[in-house]
Amino acid sequence: MNFDLTQEQNDLREAVSALGRRYGHEYFIGKAKAGEHTTELWAEAGKLGYLGVSIPEEYGGGGGGITELTVVCEELSATGSPLLLLVVSPAIVATILARHGTDAQRAEFLPRLADGSLLIAFAITEPEAGSNFHRLGTVARRDGDDWVLNGRKCFISGVDHADYVMVVARTEDASTGRLMPALFLVPTDAAGLTRSQLDMEIVSPEKQWLLYLDDVRLPAEALVGGSTDAGLPALFAGLNPERITVAAMSAGTGRYALDRASRYTATRQVWGRPIGTHQGVAHPLAHAAIQVELARLMVYKAAALYDAGRDLEAGVAANMAKYATADAAALAVDTAIQAHGGNGMTTEYGVATLLGAVRAGRIAPVSREMILNFVAQHVLGQEKSY
Amino acid sequence: MNIVVLVKQVPDSGSERGLAGDNTVERQSANNVINEMDEYAIEEALRIQAAEGGEVTILTMGPERAAESIRKALSMGPDKAVHVIDDALHGSCALSTSKVLAAALGTLNPDLVIAGAESTDGRVQVMPHMIAERLGIAALTGARKLTVDGGTLTIERQTEEGYEVVTAATPAVVSVWDTINEPRYPSFKGIMAAKKKPVQTLALADLGIEAGEVGFAGASSEVVEHAKRPPRQGGQKVADDGNGGAALVEFLSSEKFV
Repeated sequence: MNFDLTQEQNDLREAVSALGRRYGHEYFIGKAKAGEHTTELWAEAGKLGYLGVSIPEEYGGGGGGITELTVVCEELSATGSPLLLLVVSPAIVATILARHGTDAQRAEFLPRLADGSLLIAFAITEPEAGSNFHRLGTVARRDGDDWVLNGRKCFISGVDHADYVMVVARTEDASTGRLMPALFLVPTDAAGLTRSQLDMEIVSPEKQWLLYLDDVRLPAEALVGGSTDAGLPALFAGLNPERITVAAMSAGTGRYALDRASRYTATRQVWGRPIGTHQGVAHPLAHAAIQVELARLMVYKAAALYDAGRDLEAGVAANMAKYATADAAALAVDTAIQAHGGNGMTTEYGVATLLGAVRAGRIAPVSREMILNFVAQHVLGQEKSY
Repeated sequence: MNIVVLVKQVPDSGSERGLAGDNTVERQSANNVINEMDEYAIEEALRIQAAEGGEVTILTMGPERAAESIRKALSMGPDKAVHVIDDALHGSCALSTSKVLAAALGTLNPDLVIAGAESTDGRVQVMPHMIAERLGIAALTGARKLTVDGGTLTIERQTEEGYEVVTAATPAVVSVWDTINEPRYPSFKGIMAAKKKPVQTLALADLGIEAGEVGFAGASSEVVEHAKRPPRQGGQKVADDGNGGAALVEFLSSEKFV
């Protein structure tokens, strides 16, 4: 058994960490509060090939796996300057296109996803069908060679600076009448696609959007994989990388919060000694550190299983990792704030700024309750509860 | 242009450092990294290569674990590396180190040798001069800017007052400060390619140097003893009861700061 990353993965970790430290949390918060995007960090990470680590080499990527992408997500988050759209554009969309796109779609999109010059958002969640994608209300109707999409999507990240949105819709199977998911690449300037911003209590440069699709007409080439049969496997291909990279971000955020807190408690003097010498301060931090490290282990197990092609096992591990890291990150941030006392709630000390994000981590992209349902059903063999 | 960059592995200057029992730098337990200033030297070499073409070679003298720093240096983009490794080198002084590096450079025939202006462990700043002297070529040291125009090198030599413009013909040794550029981060492709790049290892015998000429045996200087830096003294507190400003000025002038 081996818990070590490879030499290259470790070198990647160090390089990404060095880049992230140069930007850091102040940069991230500054951009978020100014209503701007972390464009410079995205562009530089793209140029260095960090955004495209998991994209095949023949399409300009690094030829690594989800493990490498996990390293990138975690390390940037650990410097306090996470890139949420890593989860969307490289992890979900690029994986789906690499595994299930047509040759033309791969050639057109993957090289630009790899260097970060193209950003594709991902839209599955709907107001009336939260976690249940079997109940999606967005419908794709065939009209000659074209497709016409109608429906609504919510909580879609980063649409305002994305070039395309990969939209999950459903089509009716002509022979059986069964509804099947189908994925479409919709240009963000397509006629009939409008959006409105959701006001969120999360300090982030990435905004959340409601999308309205009113008779959005797309050419046949917009259908991912070129066939409605590609929809379901394509959708599943994107879900594990999403969960694993989200989990990596939470783990990194937990590390960041504990790093800030432990540097503070080691140096902040009250009554002549650092406050970290008091067990009442140190033990909660130590406890949180244990939770974060345990959760991290599951993230890398999930990534390793995924890269080994063991999708079913990876699915269980990815869900568990997502659940565990979300709780650990929320605990780490809460504990870090408490350790800072009043300073913990200031913007300057850079921990309370994460409250909204870590709280949301217990809900998105899949709620902890749905993960518990999944584990109860698929690991513990209980009957489906919903 | 054939460029060789001198890269030294040193203990991370951000961590606690010390000397081993034999008064050499403790490397066993340290977190060893590329000497910070050398990253600027690598960057400068890569920029010149991008403009002028040619090849960039890393030259390192150091124990086996220095290979890790060589790999990291190569991940930034240089083409190949030479690693001088020999048990007899342990304890070498600056003079014998320069003999070894000059001999290794002799096998590489460079137009330009770039080095960091100093290492964060030894900090003697003499290596570029010594190597240039041994090779009989010019030394342009302490550069904050380097321009290449055919076979002519021009540097802005950083001084306390400003800078001096110094020119020399190739081949030459140039040492650089961290004001010269902003070193790149290794790209993912660079990281993946580093391990596949050729690293030639050379022993003393390959360079025609006897073991007795280097290491403790051949050292021209000896570290006799060393002591920890004294703990920082508590500062002087000035309570501001109305004349705080005057008290501050008095303190500053007593220390000759103003």
